[in-house]
Amino acid sequence: MLELASISNLANLTPAVIGEAASAAIPAAVPSPEFAWAGLILLLPAISAVLCGVCAAMGVKNKLPGAITAVALLAAFATTLSLFLKMPQDAPRVIHLFDWVAFAWTGQGATWTSFLAPFSLYVDSLTLLWMLFVTGLGSLIAIYATEYMEADVGKGYARFFGSVSVFLFAMGSLVMGGNLILLYLGWEGVGLASYLLIGYFYSKPSAVAAAKKAFIMNRIGDLGLALGVFLIWMNYGTVEYDALFKALAAGGEGATSEWSKAAIPYCLMLGAFGKSAQIPLFVWLPDAMEGPTPVSALIHAATMVTAGIYLIARTFPLFALEPHALTVVAIVGCATALVAATIGMAQYDIKRVMAYSTVSQLGYMFLGLGVGTTFGAVYHVFTHAFFKALLFLCCGAIMHGMAGQLDLRKMSGLRNVKGFGVISWTFLIGCLCLAGFPFTAGFFSKDSIIAQAFASGNPTFTLLGWIALFTAFLTAYYTFRVWFRVCGGPTKYEPGDEMHGHGDDHGAHDHGAHDHGGHGHGGHGHGGHGHGGHGAHEWHPHGPRLAINGVLLLICAGAILAAVPSYLGEMQHQPNWVETMVSHSSAAGGIPSHDHAGGDHAAHHALSFTGIADVHAATSVVASAAGILGILVAVFFHLINRGAADRLRAALLSNGLTRWLPLALENKWKVDEIYHVVFRLPAWVLGHVLHAVDKQIIDGVVVNGTARLPAELGRLFQPLYNGALQGYAATMAGGIALIAAWVFWIWMQGG
Amino acid sequence: MNTATIASMEHSMFTLSGTTLAATGAQTVNAALLVSALLFAIGLVGFLSRRNMIIMFLCTELMFQASALALIAFGKVHHDLSGQVFVIFILTVAAAEAALALGLVVLLYRRRETLDSEAWSELRETA
Amino acid sequence: MTENLSSDRTQPVTTHHMSSPPSLTLVLLEAASGLSPAVQLTIAAAICAAGLAMLMQPEGRKLRIAGTVLGLAGFAMLFVEVLKRASPAGADTGLPPVFPVVFGFLALAGAVRMITHPRPVFAALYFILVVIATAGMFLLLGAEFMAFSLVIVYAGAILITYMFVLMLAQQSPVAGVGDAWYDRMPREAISAVIVGFVMLATLSDAYFSQKSQDLRNETLVRTEPTGTAEAWARLDQMPKLLLETARKADASIASVESLDAKTGTVSARTADGAPVQVVLGADDLPDNGRQVGVDLVSKFPAGLEIAGVVLLMALFGAVILARKQIELGEDERRGLAGMRRLTVEGEAGGAAGGAR
Repeated sequence: MLELASISNLANLTPAVIGEAASAAIPAAVPSPEFAWAGLILLLPAISAVLCGVCAAMGVKNKLPGAITAVALLAAFATTLSLFLKMPQDAPRVIHLFDWVAFAWTGQGATWTSFLAPFSLYVDSLTLLWMLFVTGLGSLIAIYATEYMEADVGKGYARFFGSVSVFLFAMGSLVMGGNLILLYLGWEGVGLASYLLIGYFYSKPSAVAAAKKAFIMNRIGDLGLALGVFLIWMNYGTVEYDALFKALAAGGEGATSEWSKAAIPYCLMLGAFGKSAQIPLFVWLPDAMEGPTPVSALIHAATMVTAGIYLIARTFPLFALEPHALTVVAIVGCATALVAATIGMAQYDIKRVMAYSTVSQLGYMFLGLGVGTTFGAVYHVFTHAFFKALLFLCCGAIMHGMAGQLDLRKMSGLRNVKGFGVISWTFLIGCLCLAGFPFTAGFFSKDSIIAQAFASGNPTFTLLGWIALFTAFLTAYYTFRVWFRVCGGPTKYEPGDEMHGHGDDHGAHDHGAHDHGGHGHGGHGHGGHGHGGHGAHEWHPHGPRLAINGVLLLICAGAILAAVPSYLGEMQHQPNWVETMVSHSSAAGGIPSHDHAGGDHAAHHALSFTGIADVHAATSVVASAAGILGILVAVFFHLINRGAADRLRAALLSNGLTRWLPLALENKWKVDEIYHVVFRLPAWVLGHVLHAVDKQIIDGVVVNGTARLPAELGRLFQPLYNGALQGYAATMAGGIALIAAWVFWIWMQGG
Repeated sequence: MNTATIASMEHSMFTLSGTTLAATGAQTVNAALLVSALLFAIGLVGFLSRRNMIIMFLCTELMFQASALALIAFGKVHHDLSGQVFVIFILTVAAAEAALALGLVVLLYRRRETLDSEAWSELRETA
Repeated sequence: MTENLSSDRTQPVTTHHMSSPPSLTLVLLEAASGLSPAVQLTIAAAICAAGLAMLMQPEGRKLRIAGTVLGLAGFAMLFVEVLKRASPAGADTGLPPVFPVVFGFLALAGAVRMITHPRPVFAALYFILVVIATAGMFLLLGAEFMAFSLVIVYAGAILITYMFVLMLAQQSPVAGVGDAWYDRMPREAISAVIVGFVMLATLSDAYFSQKSQDLRNETLVRTEPTGTAEAWARLDQMPKLLLETARKADASIASVESLDAKTGTVSARTADGAPVQVVLGADDLPDNGRQVGVDLVSKFPAGLEIAGVVLLMALFGAVILARKQIELGEDERRGLAGMRRLTVEGEAGGAAGGAR
């Protein structure tokens, strides 16, 4: 029985995880053809993608593609919302749309082996939760992008929105698909959309390189996912969630071998790490910031990168079967959180800081999954989607208004610049959430993860909890480093050297002739680009208009309201709404019981020194302290005494013992370089060796050699055919003599 | 007259002693066959190694001789005159061949002013 | 193969009666006597071939002398070995037959000289020697008619044709240069000799293997002393000659009724119808020419007709070839006019330059 197996496994590992929620079997799915209209959630973005393609083909020179996408996504969101409201969530619903992949062949004996992957939706509360913020944020960001991308109207506008629509379709397929094949389809689809959008400025070499890097890194993860799906089919004979969970509940009969069963979670884990940018596959995500900022917000912060979390949450029963899989997930997540946070501390590009913070927060989510709180992980996904999207959109708005400026050393005091007020204050809200400031959404979700690490009582997890606390301190520091530098302090700024939405090739364009939103482009700092002729123009930043500001405010409200479930939970002593949602899904195995506060571990948890018995409350206090401490450090270094940060850096650099620290952080721990030497260089060498082998051995010897062999053989015998009569006669006579000898020999043998 | 006397009379011209007639006949046949084989081989070697087209045809005549000798020797073994009749045919063929081949040689000589057989090797593979 | 040839040969190798061969041959024979007969034949053939190869070299007198010695030795070895095989088991034939050896030697020497002599005219003359020696062999084999017709047709007709062609085509030796280079330089002599050796070894092993030898001896002994019965049968086909022959024996015979081929007894009648029997003797046998003639027309009438047609066609062909006016190409005309040729400079012009 699944329950027994998962309980016995988890008992060794995460005693506190076990609760009544975990012991509740996943309810069997209910076929619900009456909800077939839920297919609109997938259909609308698909139609939008096709229409955007038509627009691109027809060369539409207005904002029509953006409007189509925004409307379609809003409609999809409305559909999701009505599905959420109308569908009873006691049991998963399977909505069979049409048959898609259906193979059956005779196996051993009279049994039929089948491979069935119908195009069906598997809708439970986890799906709904995910789709709510995916479609909601997706439509908001699409609206934002209609203004943000206006410089590209008529050029890449339709392409951009087409890709966004493709992404939404794929993400819906990933989340709502009723089987692992649909999930894989969506998985590859979001990878494709990500590739297209990162490489949106395809004339910019760095964007192209980043797109390729993201795609190739994801291929490694996708290989793991594909292998995992294969192994699941081999072991359980199905790839449909409902049948798979039934098979698991029945004890996983028909398994081919132990090792192949045990390998499943590790394979899936590799896929999740690739998509969600965890060690060792995290390096693609910071580079992915080459894409337009709305894309960074939507795909590389809020939705796509959480697909790994979704995958593990969805297949949590499989992970629960394997004793060490979750521990590995926790360790990797925690290490990623720490490493990414340290790198984020030393970056100057605010978008990159946010990218590393995303990696770091994703690490938290995996830590949550690993220590056994699917609720904490999913809740953090949920809150993070809002505040990280908000942060990215703020970065994008700043970049939009500051002519592509992203260096935090070149901007200061933006809160006082006309038109940047909304950006600055919503930015602050996002930063507070990210830093885990008390009673913000991020505070609750992050605490639930860290608290679970301590509550588990497992020494490994306790250590991970301390690391997570330290990371929380770092997070607060680097978040407010950005905010104080950019929005605080005296007002001082200089524009960036390019406009967003303009590729590098625009460097040669006449910017002066291009009136962008009513503001001219200055020649400040453009000397290297030969724009000195435009220095006469007075450059000043332009604040965003309604589409951007409105979306910022809406998402900011979302980020604040994301904490509401926790407030309600605390005040009404009800289960958190998100927790309820998760507990009704296949991730229910990871919901800790509620009575742990009064359980055996309560008095001995690692935070007992605070004097607070309840581990959650103690964690809240300690984590708040860490977050506030981080903010205070940032206040000192980046608001009050800005020179101190540089002096500290200089001091560290001048000391031989500590010199490595700032260099390592600024150079991102040299991970890219290490990968280059460890993986790329051998592959390069191997490639050249194989190329040489191909040229010399395969082509040279086997192919051309084979072709040359008859010619050489012919040349060997060519002297025989020198045209002289006697040469032929000699051959003929010798041959006749030999044949005669042979005939004679036969005659002798014949007696 | 007994048969032995008849045979001795038949061989009287060249039989030197009163040895066994069968053995003598066999020795003569063997010698003829050996000479035939050697003549044929020598004719072949000559045909292959001489460049002069006339000599080459002469060598084919030599090989005709060798085969004629072998035919007569085997006819002797079997007491069958067909071997000798075949030699008549060989002579016919040799005569016809000589007439035609020598005419051709004269023609070829007129074209190239040489009897070298290698002057006519345009059909070879060009190296 | 060589083992098979000799495996059933039990007769001891005896060489004591070979008293006359040259001492070198004796030494070689002694050395070779331990080997199986087929190997001996092959070795002798190889020695002959080696001698021939030396003789064919245009330069080097010593080499040619050595080649002559070697060729003679091989020739002697072959003859001794072959004649030895002709003897049925236990039979001592005494001295080897002198005439076959002499004629054979003459024929082979002439043939060797023919293919080695640089002057085509001398080669043709040596070929006449070969023809005459072969005719001698024909006589020894009882083919008198063929022997004489060979001499007449070859030496008298064909060789004369060759001589005429040589006169027409052969370039006369140039003073200081000598004979034409293509007559002096043999073409790939070694490989030619190797091919010839293979042919010779195959032929001699086929002719003189114990199996073929036994078959031949058996046939000879069975039909020996003669084909007298066949000869009487041929006489029976010639009624006029039969009547004459019968009358020679008994003048009273008016008509012949039959001839008993086994005994040579003629059943005839006298002029008054009285039966009479005459036994014909060896002297009464028809001569070889008549017998061949009978066989030719009775056994091979079609072949005879075809031979006639072939000769006629050869006659026509020779006439047409001789009459034909060669259309000379541009290049040939240039060459005949003493101008430099355009294309075949290396082929024809190189002839004067010696070996390529």
